[in-house]
Amino acid sequence: MTTSNADVTKELFVPADLNDSVSEQISGESVSAWRDAIRRFVTNKGAMASMIIIFLIVVFAIIGPHFFGYGVDDQDVSRANLPPKIGALSWIPAFSGHEGGVDVYKEKKITKNYWFGTDQLGRDLWTRTWMGTQISLIIALIATLADVCIGVVYGGVSGYFGGMVDNVLQRILEIIAGIPSLVWIILLILILQPGLVTITIAILATSWLSMARIVRGEMLKLKNQEFVLASRTLGANDGRIIFKHLIPNSIGMIIINTMFSVPSAIFFEAFLSFIGLGIRSPQSSLGSLINDGYQMLQIHPYQTLYPGIIISLLLICFNIMGDGLRDAFDPKLRR
Amino acid sequence: MGRYILKRVGYMLVTFYVVVTLTFLAMKMLPGTPFKFANRLTPEQLNQLKHYYGLDQPIPVQYVHYIWNMLHGDLGGSFQYGMQPVTEFLAQRFPISMQLGIESMIIGTILGIVLGIISGIYRGRFLDWGTVTLTVVFISIPSFIFAAILQYCFSVQIRIFPVIGWDTPMTHVLPVISIGVGVMASIARFMRTEMVEVLGQDYIITAQAKGLSTPAVIYKHAIRNAMIPIVTVIGPMTAAVVTGSLVIENIFAIPGIGSQFIDAIITNDYPMIMGTTELYAALFIVTIFIVDILYGVIDPRIRVSGGKPA
Repeated sequence: MTTSNADVTKELFVPADLNDSVSEQISGESVSAWRDAIRRFVTNKGAMASMIIIFLIVVFAIIGPHFFGYGVDDQDVSRANLPPKIGALSWIPAFSGHEGGVDVYKEKKITKNYWFGTDQLGRDLWTRTWMGTQISLIIALIATLADVCIGVVYGGVSGYFGGMVDNVLQRILEIIAGIPSLVWIILLILILQPGLVTITIAILATSWLSMARIVRGEMLKLKNQEFVLASRTLGANDGRIIFKHLIPNSIGMIIINTMFSVPSAIFFEAFLSFIGLGIRSPQSSLGSLINDGYQMLQIHPYQTLYPGIIISLLLICFNIMGDGLRDAFDPKLRR
Repeated sequence: MGRYILKRVGYMLVTFYVVVTLTFLAMKMLPGTPFKFANRLTPEQLNQLKHYYGLDQPIPVQYVHYIWNMLHGDLGGSFQYGMQPVTEFLAQRFPISMQLGIESMIIGTILGIVLGIISGIYRGRFLDWGTVTLTVVFISIPSFIFAAILQYCFSVQIRIFPVIGWDTPMTHVLPVISIGVGVMASIARFMRTEMVEVLGQDYIITAQAKGLSTPAVIYKHAIRNAMIPIVTVIGPMTAAVVTGSLVIENIFAIPGIGSQFIDAIITNDYPMIMGTTELYAALFIVTIFIVDILYGVIDPRIRVSGGKPA
């Protein structure tokens, strides 16, 4: 504030240009909400890196099990507990095939390389790890579907119709949410046999709750806005308003929430398999592999290491990507 | 407020009743029998056993019987341990799980709040970036993997801590860290968000404008306000920690209800499974209730009667 009032003279003021055609002109290129979000997402280095890592994991989960032609359950005790060995990378201690200073491959006269080693039944861990990753990814897909198909519809109906419908649906939801999901899942597993189907049902039953709440909140916020009224005036029915106007407007929130329910579903499957209530042998899942390896942790730590790294990477990347999407779709939340 | 609490208590009871009924029905639909060597018993012996445990009565009768006993504080006897009352087991093992949960919560919460505050104050700088990265990693890595890593490094390779057990203070360290790290990361993340939001408020500018020093502004105005919403996450997290510690109890052979629960499931010990499930559910329901009420008490700006804050 160095200039005093006396320095401001009348000559400094110039009338603004009031010409409509000039002031109304859009100088920048118009950007849709989607492109704006994508642009913000792409500049987020962490989120992009996570996306690439997830993509790589997906690719390996698909092609990985076919690398060496072993089945998930091809047992051969003569090659049991081999440490990882990759011919081209054998200068790295972790991939040299040595364990406790001994070249186990030479000792057992095995010429083939097992990239992630073998377990105590001689099953190839590379194949089993990627098969397990497939399970995790299937679970991720199921959680997404549950969120979108059940959560969005439930929350949408509840929020849009309001009144009695809302009241009843919310009370039901409150009761379902009042039961810890662990209890739900364990009850289901007790009745059905442990396995992929049971886990699927359990995730379908529990993972959509938070989505339903969020979509309901969005509906309550949006349904009284002018564009909905305009649409109704033009004769749109409820279904059209919900699916053409309200849900597309809350798509950002829906995507963000889906991204966060995916890692928790993946974690839950691994958790259940780890305590022996999920996927069971001979099928493999990352959780059950970690559990198997855990029994041998003191002698053969590599059996836990690789499934552990992959599930951790998956979860970290999904979480970072979720953060990135949240920042991209809702810059207000960016902090 | 009074009416709201009454309403919530009503929902709590309904939810709990639903849990009890569902667990009961689930038990009745279970495949397999709870009796060891069932295939070697003659039908007469099996019937006698069933009669002894009251399993030969029609299901509705069993149900009413169960609910009635439950109202009298009797959850039945364990099938595996010669009809020893389930409540006795729970009373013996629950405090251990609770202790593990509370120790982890306290350490995790304190560290999380400190980290979150630092991260929020130094927003956008290297320290903040480091904390944010660390928290994402710690939130993501499952606790059992973390426990396995800790056990391998600090019990197998460097023998500082015992591998398993729950007696001396040294045995508490690894399990508490395994659970506490996740708590710390979630709280730090939440606290950081709150700090950043509070620091952007007008009353912070006012405090600075009236000449308060930066530490005074941060301590008196920012931290105090940012702490309020932490209550909302701590409650559900406590419930999650106590139920989720199941796996950690298993890894470190801690004699809490978690390991008991897994045993009960494997041996089809119906009354034990039901008792533990109900305890978990009750714990979960009550914590969420307390948090909702506390939240309204601590922060008068939140209207409790408006329902659960989003």
